[in-house]
Amino acid sequence: MTVPSSPRRPLWRPSLLGRGLLFFALWLVLIGAALKDWPVGLVAAAAATWASIPLWPPESRLSATGLARFVLRFLPQAVAAGLDVARRAFARRIAMKPGIVTYRASLRPGLAQGALCAVMSLQPGKLPVSCAARGDMRVHCLDSDASVTAELAADEAAFLRILPGGRAGG
Amino acid sequence: MGLADAFTLICVVAGAVLFLAGTLGLLRFPDTLSRLHALSKADNLGLGLIVLGLMPQQASLMGGAKLVCIWLLAQLSAATASQLIAGIAARRKPQA
Repeated sequence: MTVPSSPRRPLWRPSLLGRGLLFFALWLVLIGAALKDWPVGLVAAAAATWASIPLWPPESRLSATGLARFVLRFLPQAVAAGLDVARRAFARRIAMKPGIVTYRASLRPGLAQGALCAVMSLQPGKLPVSCAARGDMRVHCLDSDASVTAELAADEAAFLRILPGGRAGG
Repeated sequence: MGLADAFTLICVVAGAVLFLAGTLGLLRFPDTLSRLHALSKADNLGLGLIVLGLMPQQASLMGGAKLVCIWLLAQLSAATASQLIAGIAARRKPQA
């Protein structure tokens, strides 16, 4: 059995350097900007960059406009989700019909689908239960009667716009 | 009390009410998965409101950025953890 040899790549590419700087900026925000702490921060940023390579390969691209539209769509929905749960929790009688809906996602299992599941779990009335098996996602819903499949498809379409060309890989 | 303090008071109280709602949901909702809804969604909005309310009290931009980072990290960990727990709960007791 032959293992296909991957073409040799330079270790430090501009995208990786940018990512490392972002990690370092995050570290500075969280820990503080005292100069004596910088060596630890630089090591932490380098380690974070190294760990991020298998999770999000450097050649991957995100669409900035897609991401902005997604955030604008996501924030009001996260607010609606919180209010929806609060309304149900404070109600005199708990009115819900929980159940599991199966949804055929077009994203293949992998990091992108995992991220989609994480985002969906913050949307109103929906909580992905399993995302692994051949693109079928099982989603727990507080109201299994509601038009969940259409909402899930709309969520996924908005998510796919972040990935240029609707990349459906992991 | 200035306008900024009033804003802080309103947002933080609203955030605390949402934390209360999340806890009530945890106690009152009928099954494990529904309870996870209460925790992952109400608490995240509650934390978001508290972070928003504390913004005007920050002396520096860095402090505000730190609060936003804390909120984002909490969102990320809540979303991931609730999914993992949901997966285990569903495997343990298959839902109809």
